[in-house]
Amino acid sequence: MSQQTQKVERDLTMSRAMVEAIAEEMRDNEEVFYMGEDVADYGGIFDSTEGLREEFGYDRVMDVPISETAYLGAAVGAAQAGMRPIAELMFVDFFGVAMDQIYNQMAKNTYMSGGNVSVPMVLTAAVGGTYNDAAQHSQTLYGTFAHVPGMKVVVPSTAYDAKGLMHNAIRDDDPVVYMFHKRLMGIGWLPAPDGPKTPVPKEDYTIPFGSADVKREGEDATIVTLGLHVHRALEAAESLAEDGISAEVIDLRSLVPLDTETIVDSVEKTGKLVVVDEDYRSYGVTGEIVASVADESLAALDSVERVALPDVPIPYSRPMEQEVVPDADDIAAAVERTQE
Amino acid sequence: MSGDTDRVEVTLDKWPDDADSDEGVVVNWFAREGADVEAEESLCEVQIEKVSVDVLAPTDGTLAEIVCGEDDEFERGDTLAWVEP
Repeated sequence: MSQQTQKVERDLTMSRAMVEAIAEEMRDNEEVFYMGEDVADYGGIFDSTEGLREEFGYDRVMDVPISETAYLGAAVGAAQAGMRPIAELMFVDFFGVAMDQIYNQMAKNTYMSGGNVSVPMVLTAAVGGTYNDAAQHSQTLYGTFAHVPGMKVVVPSTAYDAKGLMHNAIRDDDPVVYMFHKRLMGIGWLPAPDGPKTPVPKEDYTIPFGSADVKREGEDATIVTLGLHVHRALEAAESLAEDGISAEVIDLRSLVPLDTETIVDSVEKTGKLVVVDEDYRSYGVTGEIVASVADESLAALDSVERVALPDVPIPYSRPMEQEVVPDADDIAAAVERTQE
Repeated sequence: MSGDTDRVEVTLDKWPDDADSDEGVVVNWFAREGADVEAEESLCEVQIEKVSVDVLAPTDGTLAEIVCGEDDEFERGDTLAWVEP
């Protein structure tokens, strides 16, 4: 903005921004490679690796057998041996079959080895619902991954953030879980809302973990959220503005590390906190954010609302899924309750 | 000044071989009107029978006009946009 009006060179979808960062890192460092189910010839069922096999070949973009335990374990080992693997869980819901590799090996081997090894790998995972894929293919599980010590957890909401966070994730010497929401990728059969497709510089850049982004400034309430619900919160803020309520929207961008300071600063300004999450309500992101603010600045909290998935399996039925996954109206209603 | 006759049309050159349909839909535009584009650069993504295909810039130039916007349907051979070299 300092010089003339900067010209938008091109817009990218979130999937293309992710892939651009991965390709750039693979060109720069031959230790970076990608493995997962249907990531080579298919390009990732949510376009997370589109075009990588064509450029880098099968040795560096590997399709693996359907055994998450085997290939996530292989990724942990490769990382400990000095490589920089990116391993993809096709659906985050499948983490259960490889829970020991993720929770006990990837997350803890640096600690268990007394720092003799580090595990510089990225675990990518498709998350989220809203497209009627039922209870075993629609979860976000943000809280499950952010809960265990030893892993960094990032969740992009736009193409710009997706590229910068991916560069940072691959360069990080610790394990990073990179959770991308299917609805934001910009896929033809799964249309994204307006918002995730953004201008993306062609040069590489990083976005540091633990830096939440104020996506919209406001005075009357603070909405804290992540992933798909950043866009639903922005839609809610737009409609609230018509009623004279000014809502601030904070995109966490990373859950671990958590940028408590940005949240607390905002709540000290507005006094009202609304936390919106697509994960289950209990023992999750909403409770954690509220507790973190209470720890730091209890007196600033006039009013608190949690908007999350109720503690039920996500229904397959379209109207039932739409009922349980929070939408812009649910968020706006919660903000209005804080103003009473 | 360059008139309309100098404009080069943007269209999908290679229709997928295995597609039965002669209709597609524009999914994403990556360049905006007025943007400088380079030959072979991906300008937009279209979908034909669930298969995504990129439409490339025919020449260096400026994306003068987008004819088919996002979510618009088009037929084989239709002009999707115009580039001024």
